[in-house]
Amino acid sequence: MSVTRRQIVAAAVGAAAVPAGPAAAQATGADGLERLLALEHRLESAYGAALDQGVIDPVLGRSLSGQEREHVRGVEVALETLGRRPPRLRVTPPRRAALAGRPAFARFALELETEAVAGYVEVLGGLDAPGLLQPLGSIMTSAAQHQVALRRVLAEPLLAVRG
Amino acid sequence: MQARVTRRAALGGAGVLVLASCGGDHPPPAGKPPAGSGAGLLNSIVALEHASVAAWAAIASALSGKGRSQAKVIRRRELQHVARVSALVRDLGGSPPKGRPASEYALMFPKLTDGADALHFAHDLEERLVRAYLDALRSLPEPRQRRAAAEIAAEEAQDLSVVQLLSGEPASTKAFVTGTS
Repeated sequence: MSVTRRQIVAAAVGAAAVPAGPAAAQATGADGLERLLALEHRLESAYGAALDQGVIDPVLGRSLSGQEREHVRGVEVALETLGRRPPRLRVTPPRRAALAGRPAFARFALELETEAVAGYVEVLGGLDAPGLLQPLGSIMTSAAQHQVALRRVLAEPLLAVRG
Repeated sequence: MQARVTRRAALGGAGVLVLASCGGDHPPPAGKPPAGSGAGLLNSIVALEHASVAAWAAIASALSGKGRSQAKVIRRRELQHVARVSALVRDLGGSPPKGRPASEYALMFPKLTDGADALHFAHDLEERLVRAYLDALRSLPEPRQRRAAAEIAAEEAQDLSVVQLLSGEPASTKAFVTGTS
Protein backbone atom coordinates (compact mmCIF):
# COMPACT_ATOMS: atom_id res chain seq x y z
CA MET A 1 0.00 0.00 0.00
CA SER A 2 1.47 3.36 -0.99
CA VAL A 3 1.70 6.20 1.47
CA THR A 4 -0.98 8.10 -0.35
CA ARG A 5 -3.32 5.14 -0.32
CA ARG A 6 -2.64 4.73 3.36
CA GLN A 7 -3.48 8.40 3.81
CA ILE A 8 -6.79 7.88 2.06
CA VAL A 9 -7.74 4.98 4.27
CA ALA A 10 -6.53 6.74 7.43
CA ALA A 11 -8.48 9.84 6.50
CA ALA A 12 -11.54 7.76 5.83
CA VAL A 13 -11.27 6.08 9.21
CA GLY A 14 -10.87 9.50 10.79
CA ALA A 15 -13.87 10.80 8.93
CA ALA A 16 -15.96 7.93 10.25
CA ALA A 17 -15.25 9.14 13.77
CA VAL A 18 -16.35 12.67 12.96
CA PRO A 19 -19.98 13.41 13.82
CA ALA A 20 -21.99 13.06 10.65
CA GLY A 21 -23.47 16.15 9.09
CA PRO A 22 -27.10 16.54 8.14
CA ALA A 23 -28.40 13.32 6.60
CA ALA A 24 -29.61 15.09 3.47
CA ALA A 25 -26.19 16.62 2.85
CA GLN A 26 -24.52 13.24 3.35
CA ALA A 27 -26.93 11.63 0.89
CA THR A 28 -26.26 14.33 -1.69
CA GLY A 29 -22.52 13.92 -1.21
CA ALA A 30 -22.77 10.15 -1.55
CA ASP A 31 -24.86 10.53 -4.72
CA GLY A 32 -22.18 12.79 -6.14
CA LEU A 33 -19.51 10.28 -5.22
CA GLU A 34 -21.44 7.50 -6.95
CA ARG A 35 -21.48 9.58 -10.12
CA LEU A 36 -17.74 10.16 -9.74
CA LEU A 37 -17.16 6.45 -9.20
CA ALA A 38 -18.94 5.72 -12.48
CA LEU A 39 -16.80 8.34 -14.20
CA GLU A 40 -13.57 6.95 -12.76
CA HIS A 41 -14.56 3.46 -13.94
CA ARG A 42 -15.23 4.87 -17.42
CA LEU A 43 -11.82 6.53 -17.45
CA GLU A 44 -10.04 3.37 -16.36
CA SER A 45 -11.89 1.40 -19.02
CA ALA A 46 -11.18 4.06 -21.65
CA TYR A 47 -7.42 4.10 -21.03
CA GLY A 48 -7.41 0.30 -21.10
CA ALA A 49 -9.25 0.26 -24.43
CA ALA A 50 -6.93 2.93 -25.83
CA LEU A 51 -3.92 0.83 -24.87
CA ASP A 52 -5.48 -2.22 -26.51
CA GLN A 53 -6.17 -0.27 -29.70
CA GLY A 54 -2.81 1.49 -29.74
CA VAL A 55 -4.36 4.97 -29.68
CA ILE A 56 -2.38 6.28 -26.71
CA ASP A 57 1.34 6.35 -26.02
CA PRO A 58 1.88 3.13 -24.04
CA VAL A 59 3.86 4.73 -21.22
CA LEU A 60 1.29 7.50 -20.76
CA GLY A 61 -1.62 5.08 -21.10
CA ARG A 62 -0.29 2.65 -18.51
CA SER A 63 0.42 5.48 -16.09
CA LEU A 64 -3.02 7.08 -16.42
CA SER A 65 -4.81 3.74 -16.35
CA GLY A 66 -3.00 2.75 -13.13
CA GLN A 67 -3.84 6.08 -11.53
CA GLU A 68 -7.52 5.70 -12.48
CA ARG A 69 -7.55 2.30 -10.80
CA GLU A 70 -6.33 3.98 -7.60
CA HIS A 71 -8.95 6.73 -7.99
CA VAL A 72 -11.66 4.07 -8.23
CA ARG A 73 -10.48 2.49 -4.99
CA GLY A 74 -10.18 5.87 -3.28
CA VAL A 75 -13.77 6.84 -4.17
CA GLU A 76 -15.01 3.41 -3.07
CA VAL A 77 -13.36 3.89 0.33
CA ALA A 78 -14.94 7.35 0.60
CA LEU A 79 -18.38 5.91 -0.17
CA GLU A 80 -17.92 3.17 2.41
CA THR A 81 -16.96 5.84 4.94
CA LEU A 82 -20.28 7.55 4.28
CA GLY A 83 -22.04 4.25 4.95
CA ARG A 84 -22.88 3.48 1.36
CA ARG A 85 -21.81 0.29 -0.35
CA PRO A 86 -20.05 1.05 -3.66
CA PRO A 87 -22.42 0.02 -6.44
CA ARG A 88 -21.49 -2.64 -8.97
CA LEU A 89 -21.28 -0.75 -12.19
CA ARG A 90 -21.59 -1.88 -15.75
CA VAL A 91 -19.07 0.23 -17.61
CA THR A 92 -19.91 1.38 -21.10
CA PRO A 93 -16.88 1.02 -23.38
CA PRO A 94 -15.78 4.08 -25.34
CA ARG A 95 -17.57 4.77 -28.62
CA ARG A 96 -15.75 3.52 -31.69
CA ALA A 97 -15.16 7.10 -32.85
CA ALA A 98 -13.29 7.81 -29.62
CA LEU A 99 -10.77 5.12 -30.52
CA ALA A 100 -10.26 6.26 -34.11
CA GLY A 101 -6.79 7.61 -33.43
CA ARG A 102 -4.60 9.34 -30.87
CA PRO A 103 -6.13 12.82 -31.25
CA ALA A 104 -9.69 11.46 -31.15
CA PHE A 105 -8.98 9.47 -28.04
CA ALA A 106 -7.16 12.32 -26.31
CA ARG A 107 -10.14 14.62 -27.00
CA PHE A 108 -12.57 12.02 -25.63
CA ALA A 109 -10.47 11.40 -22.50
CA LEU A 110 -9.96 15.13 -21.95
CA GLU A 111 -13.74 15.65 -21.89
CA LEU A 112 -14.13 12.89 -19.30
CA GLU A 113 -11.30 14.27 -17.14
CA THR A 114 -12.82 17.75 -17.33
CA GLU A 115 -16.17 16.34 -16.23
CA ALA A 116 -14.42 14.56 -13.36
CA VAL A 117 -12.68 17.71 -12.10
CA ALA A 118 -15.98 19.61 -12.18
CA GLY A 119 -17.69 16.75 -10.36
CA TYR A 120 -15.09 16.72 -7.59
CA VAL A 121 -15.40 20.49 -7.17
CA GLU A 122 -19.15 20.12 -6.64
CA VAL A 123 -18.75 17.26 -4.18
CA LEU A 124 -16.01 19.03 -2.24
CA GLY A 125 -18.21 22.10 -1.93
CA GLY A 126 -21.16 20.25 -0.51
CA LEU A 127 -19.79 17.24 1.36
CA ASP A 128 -20.14 17.41 5.13
CA ALA A 129 -17.33 14.99 6.00
CA PRO A 130 -14.18 16.99 6.79
CA GLY A 131 -11.90 13.96 6.86
CA LEU A 132 -12.72 13.09 3.26
CA LEU A 133 -12.21 16.52 1.71
CA GLN A 134 -8.43 16.42 1.46
CA PRO A 135 -8.13 12.86 0.12
CA LEU A 136 -10.85 13.49 -2.48
CA GLY A 137 -9.17 16.79 -3.30
CA SER A 138 -5.93 14.94 -4.01
CA ILE A 139 -7.75 12.75 -6.55
CA MET A 140 -9.21 15.87 -8.17
CA THR A 141 -5.75 17.45 -8.47
CA SER A 142 -4.50 14.28 -10.14
CA ALA A 143 -7.37 14.47 -12.67
CA ALA A 144 -6.38 18.09 -13.32
CA GLN A 145 -2.87 16.93 -14.16
CA HIS A 146 -4.31 14.35 -16.55
CA GLN A 147 -5.93 17.26 -18.38
CA VAL A 148 -2.49 18.79 -18.94
CA ALA A 149 -1.07 15.48 -20.18
CA LEU A 150 -3.93 15.13 -22.68
CA ARG A 151 -3.75 18.75 -23.88
CA ARG A 152 -0.09 18.10 -24.61
CA VAL A 153 -1.05 15.14 -26.79
CA LEU A 154 -3.47 17.45 -28.61
CA ALA A 155 -0.80 20.17 -28.94
CA GLU A 156 -3.20 22.61 -27.26
CA PRO A 157 -2.27 25.34 -24.77
CA LEU A 158 -1.50 23.49 -21.54
CA LEU A 159 -3.08 26.09 -19.26
CA ALA A 160 -6.15 28.26 -19.54
CA VAL A 161 -6.27 31.88 -18.41
CA ARG A 162 -9.75 33.23 -17.71
CA GLY A 163 -10.94 36.49 -19.21
CA MET B 1 23.62 13.86 -7.19
CA GLN B 2 24.45 14.77 -3.64
CA ALA B 3 25.25 18.31 -4.73
CA ARG B 4 21.93 18.58 -6.56
CA VAL B 5 19.93 17.37 -3.59
CA THR B 6 21.69 19.81 -1.32
CA ARG B 7 21.15 22.64 -3.74
CA ARG B 8 17.50 21.78 -4.14
CA ALA B 9 17.06 21.53 -0.40
CA ALA B 10 18.58 24.97 -0.06
CA LEU B 11 16.28 26.43 -2.70
CA GLY B 12 13.27 24.69 -1.27
CA GLY B 13 14.16 25.82 2.23
CA ALA B 14 14.43 29.40 1.07
CA GLY B 15 11.12 29.10 -0.72
CA VAL B 16 9.38 27.73 2.34
CA LEU B 17 10.91 30.50 4.41
CA VAL B 18 9.59 33.26 2.20
CA LEU B 19 6.18 31.67 1.80
CA ALA B 20 5.80 31.14 5.52
CA SER B 21 6.74 34.74 6.20
CA CYS B 22 4.40 36.01 3.50
CA GLY B 23 1.37 33.93 4.19
CA GLY B 24 1.14 31.68 7.18
CA ASP B 25 1.34 34.25 9.95
CA HIS B 26 -0.97 36.85 8.50
CA PRO B 27 -3.49 38.03 11.09
CA PRO B 28 -7.22 37.80 10.54
CA PRO B 29 -8.70 40.89 8.92
CA ALA B 30 -9.37 43.73 11.31
CA GLY B 31 -12.94 44.37 12.27
CA LYS B 32 -15.98 42.63 11.00
CA PRO B 33 -15.61 38.99 9.96
CA PRO B 34 -16.36 36.74 12.93
CA ALA B 35 -14.12 33.93 14.09
CA GLY B 36 -14.79 30.77 12.13
CA SER B 37 -15.89 32.64 9.00
CA GLY B 38 -12.80 31.52 7.11
CA ALA B 39 -11.58 35.11 6.66
CA GLY B 40 -8.29 34.60 8.50
CA LEU B 41 -7.41 31.54 6.48
CA LEU B 42 -8.43 33.21 3.22
CA ASN B 43 -6.29 36.22 4.06
CA SER B 44 -3.29 33.96 4.63
CA ILE B 45 -3.89 32.48 1.21
CA VAL B 46 -4.14 35.92 -0.41
CA ALA B 47 -0.77 36.81 1.12
CA LEU B 48 0.69 33.55 -0.14
CA GLU B 49 -0.67 34.22 -3.63
CA HIS B 50 0.82 37.73 -3.65
CA ALA B 51 4.20 36.16 -2.90
CA SER B 52 3.60 33.61 -5.66
CA VAL B 53 2.94 36.33 -8.23
CA ALA B 54 6.28 37.92 -7.35
CA ALA B 55 7.98 34.52 -7.32
CA TRP B 56 6.71 33.67 -10.80
CA ALA B 57 8.01 36.98 -12.12
CA ALA B 58 11.44 36.03 -10.76
CA ILE B 59 11.14 32.52 -12.17
CA ALA B 60 10.17 33.88 -15.61
CA SER B 61 13.25 36.12 -15.59
CA ALA B 62 15.49 33.11 -15.01
CA LEU B 63 13.92 31.07 -17.81
CA SER B 64 13.96 31.51 -21.57
CA GLY B 65 11.90 30.41 -24.56
CA LYS B 66 8.94 28.17 -23.83
CA GLY B 67 9.72 28.07 -20.12
CA ARG B 68 9.52 31.84 -19.83
CA SER B 69 6.24 32.05 -21.73
CA GLN B 70 4.68 29.32 -19.55
CA ALA B 71 5.93 31.11 -16.43
CA LYS B 72 4.20 34.28 -17.58
CA VAL B 73 0.95 32.39 -18.09
CA ILE B 74 1.21 30.89 -14.61
CA ARG B 75 1.90 34.32 -13.12
CA ARG B 76 -1.31 35.61 -14.72
CA ARG B 77 -3.22 32.69 -13.23
CA GLU B 78 -1.81 33.50 -9.79
CA LEU B 79 -2.99 37.09 -10.21
CA GLN B 80 -6.47 35.74 -10.91
CA HIS B 81 -6.25 33.66 -7.74
CA VAL B 82 -5.35 36.78 -5.75
CA ALA B 83 -8.45 38.51 -7.12
CA ARG B 84 -10.74 35.54 -6.53
CA VAL B 85 -9.68 34.82 -2.96
CA SER B 86 -9.62 38.55 -2.13
CA ALA B 87 -13.23 38.75 -3.28
CA LEU B 88 -14.15 35.97 -0.86
CA VAL B 89 -12.57 37.95 1.99
CA ARG B 90 -14.48 41.10 0.98
CA ASP B 91 -17.71 39.10 0.87
CA LEU B 92 -17.13 38.40 4.55
CA GLY B 93 -16.67 42.09 5.27
CA GLY B 94 -12.90 41.83 5.57
CA SER B 95 -10.02 43.63 3.91
CA PRO B 96 -7.60 41.36 2.07
CA PRO B 97 -3.89 42.12 2.43
CA LYS B 98 -2.12 44.02 -0.30
CA GLY B 99 1.02 42.71 -1.92
CA ARG B 100 4.42 43.98 -0.87
CA PRO B 101 6.77 45.79 -3.24
CA ALA B 102 8.55 43.38 -5.59
CA SER B 103 11.88 44.46 -4.12
CA GLU B 104 10.83 43.18 -0.69
CA TYR B 105 9.91 39.76 -2.01
CA ALA B 106 13.09 39.62 -4.09
CA LEU B 107 15.21 39.88 -0.97
CA MET B 108 13.60 36.74 0.40
CA PHE B 109 13.70 34.54 -2.71
CA PRO B 110 16.55 32.13 -3.36
CA LYS B 111 19.12 33.22 -5.91
CA LEU B 112 18.10 31.75 -9.25
CA THR B 113 21.28 31.48 -11.26
CA ASP B 114 19.91 29.36 -14.09
CA GLY B 115 16.82 27.63 -15.44
CA ALA B 116 17.33 24.56 -13.28
CA ASP B 117 17.30 26.69 -10.11
CA ALA B 118 14.17 28.40 -11.33
CA LEU B 119 12.36 25.14 -12.01
CA HIS B 120 13.31 23.69 -8.62
CA PHE B 121 11.95 26.79 -6.93
CA ALA B 122 8.83 26.67 -9.10
CA HIS B 123 8.24 23.03 -8.19
CA ASP B 124 8.48 23.71 -4.47
CA LEU B 125 6.29 26.78 -4.81
CA GLU B 126 3.51 24.97 -6.67
CA GLU B 127 3.58 22.05 -4.25
CA ARG B 128 3.19 24.54 -1.40
CA LEU B 129 0.20 26.11 -3.14
CA VAL B 130 -1.51 22.78 -3.83
CA ARG B 131 -1.03 21.84 -0.19
CA ALA B 132 -2.39 25.18 1.03
CA TYR B 133 -5.63 24.84 -0.91
CA LEU B 134 -6.15 21.17 -0.04
CA ASP B 135 -5.55 22.00 3.64
CA ALA B 136 -8.02 24.86 3.37
CA LEU B 137 -10.78 22.49 2.22
CA ARG B 138 -11.00 21.09 5.75
CA SER B 139 -11.27 24.46 7.44
CA LEU B 140 -13.39 26.66 5.18
CA PRO B 141 -16.96 26.65 6.50
CA GLU B 142 -18.95 27.66 3.41
CA PRO B 143 -19.57 25.48 0.35
CA ARG B 144 -18.79 28.31 -2.07
CA GLN B 145 -15.46 28.92 -0.29
CA ARG B 146 -14.60 25.23 -0.58
CA ARG B 147 -15.63 25.17 -4.24
CA ALA B 148 -13.32 28.09 -4.96
CA ALA B 149 -10.47 26.44 -3.04
CA ALA B 150 -11.02 23.18 -4.93
CA GLU B 151 -11.04 24.89 -8.34
CA ILE B 152 -7.87 26.78 -7.55
CA ALA B 153 -6.20 23.63 -6.14
CA ALA B 154 -6.89 21.97 -9.50
CA GLU B 155 -5.29 24.90 -11.32
CA GLU B 156 -2.23 24.83 -9.07
CA ALA B 157 -1.86 21.10 -9.78
CA GLN B 158 -1.96 21.91 -13.49
CA ASP B 159 0.73 24.55 -13.00
CA LEU B 160 2.80 21.92 -11.18
CA SER B 161 2.31 19.61 -14.17
CA VAL B 162 3.70 22.23 -16.50
CA VAL B 163 6.72 22.69 -14.24
CA GLN B 164 7.25 18.93 -14.36
CA LEU B 165 7.07 18.95 -18.17
CA LEU B 166 9.54 21.82 -18.38
CA SER B 167 11.85 19.77 -16.13
CA GLY B 168 11.65 16.81 -18.51
CA GLU B 169 9.30 14.79 -16.32
CA PRO B 170 5.82 13.42 -17.09
CA ALA B 171 2.87 15.76 -16.53
CA SER B 172 1.25 13.32 -14.16
CA THR B 173 3.13 10.92 -11.91
CA LYS B 174 0.84 10.31 -8.94
CA ALA B 175 -2.70 9.11 -8.38
CA PHE B 176 -3.05 11.40 -5.37
CA VAL B 177 -1.50 14.85 -5.77
CA THR B 178 -1.17 16.16 -2.23
CA GLY B 179 1.51 18.81 -2.68
CA THR B 180 4.14 16.70 -0.93
CA SER B 181 7.03 15.14 -2.86
